[in-house]
Amino acid sequence: MALEQLSDVVQRCQAIQDDNYTTEDYSVFQIAGRSCIEDGESAQVLSIVVDEENKNIVRCMGWNLLGPLVQILLKKEENNLPHCLAILTHLLEVCSPKELLVGLLEQVEEAHPDSIAETVILLLQPLQKVLLRLGGRKASSVGMALSTLLGQVARLPVPQTKEQEEDDVFSLCRCCSALLVFVRPFVEEAKQCRTPMPKKDELRTELLKLVCVCVCCHPSSMKSLCEPLLEVQLKDPETLAESPLRNFATEILGILSDIGESLPDLLSHSLLRRREVPGFLEEEVCYPKESLASLAYLLFVQHIAMDTFPTVFSSVFVLQCNMEYINLFLSRTEESRLQKGLDLYEKSLVRVEDNSLPVQLMELKSFFSVPQNLVKVMTLCPIQHLRIKGLQVLQLSIDKFDTEAKYKFFQCMLKTSHHAGVEGYIIKNIKNQIDFALKPEKGNEWFMGAHLFPLLRQVLCLPQGPETDLLQNLDRVMESLNLLRYLLIRDKAWKNQTGIWTELYKIEDNYLKPLRTGLNMSKAHYEAELQNTKDNSKKTNAKESQTQESVCSLTVGNEKMPNMTPEMQLQVLHSALHTFDMMESVLARIEEIIEVKEKP
Amino acid sequence: MAAELTREWSDEQLKSDDLSKKDVIKFIQDNAAHSFLAEHKLMGNIKNVAKTAKKEQLIIAYNDLFESKRFLGSEPIEDVTEHVKNVKIDDKPKEVVEVVDEGPPKFFKSVLKKGDKTNFPKKGDNVSCWYTGSLEDGTVFDTNIPATARKKKQSKPLSFKVGLGRVIRGWDEGILTMSKGETAKLEIEPEWAYGKKGLPDSKIPPNAKLIFEVELVAVD
Repeated sequence: MALEQLSDVVQRCQAIQDDNYTTEDYSVFQIAGRSCIEDGESAQVLSIVVDEENKNIVRCMGWNLLGPLVQILLKKEENNLPHCLAILTHLLEVCSPKELLVGLLEQVEEAHPDSIAETVILLLQPLQKVLLRLGGRKASSVGMALSTLLGQVARLPVPQTKEQEEDDVFSLCRCCSALLVFVRPFVEEAKQCRTPMPKKDELRTELLKLVCVCVCCHPSSMKSLCEPLLEVQLKDPETLAESPLRNFATEILGILSDIGESLPDLLSHSLLRRREVPGFLEEEVCYPKESLASLAYLLFVQHIAMDTFPTVFSSVFVLQCNMEYINLFLSRTEESRLQKGLDLYEKSLVRVEDNSLPVQLMELKSFFSVPQNLVKVMTLCPIQHLRIKGLQVLQLSIDKFDTEAKYKFFQCMLKTSHHAGVEGYIIKNIKNQIDFALKPEKGNEWFMGAHLFPLLRQVLCLPQGPETDLLQNLDRVMESLNLLRYLLIRDKAWKNQTGIWTELYKIEDNYLKPLRTGLNMSKAHYEAELQNTKDNSKKTNAKESQTQESVCSLTVGNEKMPNMTPEMQLQVLHSALHTFDMMESVLARIEEIIEVKEKP
Repeated sequence: MAAELTREWSDEQLKSDDLSKKDVIKFIQDNAAHSFLAEHKLMGNIKNVAKTAKKEQLIIAYNDLFESKRFLGSEPIEDVTEHVKNVKIDDKPKEVVEVVDEGPPKFFKSVLKKGDKTNFPKKGDNVSCWYTGSLEDGTVFDTNIPATARKKKQSKPLSFKVGLGRVIRGWDEGILTMSKGETAKLEIEPEWAYGKKGLPDSKIPPNAKLIFEVELVAVD
């Protein structure tokens, strides 16, 4: 039935001149054609389609058969396959490339979720053929095709483990390899162009977009549901010798140099943004910072395409370039981003020699922001291994600064971190630096003598005087006391290398006395509380189930927390008193040392 | 220390177009305490502030200043140092940091092909080079010279600004002694290359002396 209809419409249209077919003609052709193909009469359809008499009809209407053809081809039924393939091949050659492109991309977009990979792999070659027919105006069509294809491929689950990658159950790896083959002729064509980016040549721009999207989801170019292909942890050659994803990554980065982008220029882009370039906004779109950051990560942490990066740049310069990206990663909250930031920072730092980063670097914005972000990770991030790593990397960075830079850094951190734990850690570092400086022939002007004092003043102070909450500032106070005790023991009064003995009276007035007062007040207060609580609990025991009046209640996640039992309260108070005892013992020891030294 | 300032402009004058944003900003910057400026986002280059602040905001800030009397000098010293530090950071950051160091040159140059002996690069000039780098034992670890002559036509030499610490010191110092067209062999001691660490995870071992054959193709 359908076959007859098809033959009829085709016969009728043969007589029509100048392609003046009616909408009904199109409609009948499409519906009849589809039915024939679906019913397995593809051989007959083929003969109609290749018939010279029907040349014009097919040229205008043929592309409408793409839908049913693709569906049949996806089913892979033996008998229909060769004919359908032949029809497809013919259509690809005679129909308008623009219409074919639309039809094919429609098929890609409408692919059934279970057959995304199959559809993509089937249609890549036809798409390539069609695009190559577009000649010099192909760039935006190539871009559109890439965007549609990637949009679908990105929906496939990305293999996380080595086994998953080998098995490639969802065919993501196959798709990636096929994509590389697809894109090759366009890359070759783009290679020929000599004008510097990001000027005119649109094909190179589209390819650059492809790379950027593969390495990292840039908000403006991809729908939010995508998971960038190269965000996954790539397996190194020791883990998986032949890793399709790693190969894909290497090839994708290879496209960059093929289109004339130099890796060093790209990476230093954020650092050395040439503001005089007109159309500055274009630049930002062409080289989105997130993509550059991911690129830096792939290069320096995963070592993808690292052998194409010139072994000529100084490690300090590389660190400077990467700081921008590290800062970007560390400003985020997602675990994967923070991990990348920490890894990139670590890898950039290990290339640099200890004690070599000069103080001028401290003036750069990124060298201020990164530590601030690092502190946020260390103190606020809910993920423990990231907090631990954050601290490790912080220490690594401190080790790389030269002496003056360390000094400035410690000052800055003490002023800005507002966290007792961090301050305590920094103070410990200061102690280590002083210790180092006191070693024979290791002296320096920053951790001894005149410069040391402003720093010590920052360390040996109570932010709210005697009213400072000693429990909250425990870490800081203990480290400060340890430092002071260390100085008084290590630096003999007659040598006074650090100058501590000359300044001691000031320290006593500004620090030790208020601390002593604060300690006494705190102890008295807590001892009173302790007594109160003991008395209250005695009363409650006497009156059995009398609920205690609590000062405030605590609700966590919509659940009201039970009141602390008297035993718990006592425990807390004892613990506080114990802490004060600890502080007091160090303080007493310090006072002892001072007394002994001051005796004639 | 700060004398009581008097209001120069009335509300009408402030709103009028005769009074430019820059004038108001300049007045506030000259006379307000640093923390005031920080809070009202009025720090930094006047042109930039003018771009981001609306006239209404400036009028509000002006009035606020006289109400709160937070004039320059009314805040303690600590704030000033904070402001100085902040200003430094807000300023356009320096591009690259140069490391100044004393000591004898840690590289040795032998000329393989003479250059034009007139075009010598200066610090900050853009230079382009073909190069091949090898270790003392002869292993080539890097080159940007493609295998065939045809490919060389398609590739570009390495381009960078010399003398600014972006490349290893041996290169910075060595290239400054070369003239356009010169090909030289640079033997660089590890201190002016990748030092005690080398390049971890890469082809350069620790304490490696590097030998580069460099052709200076272009200067700026």
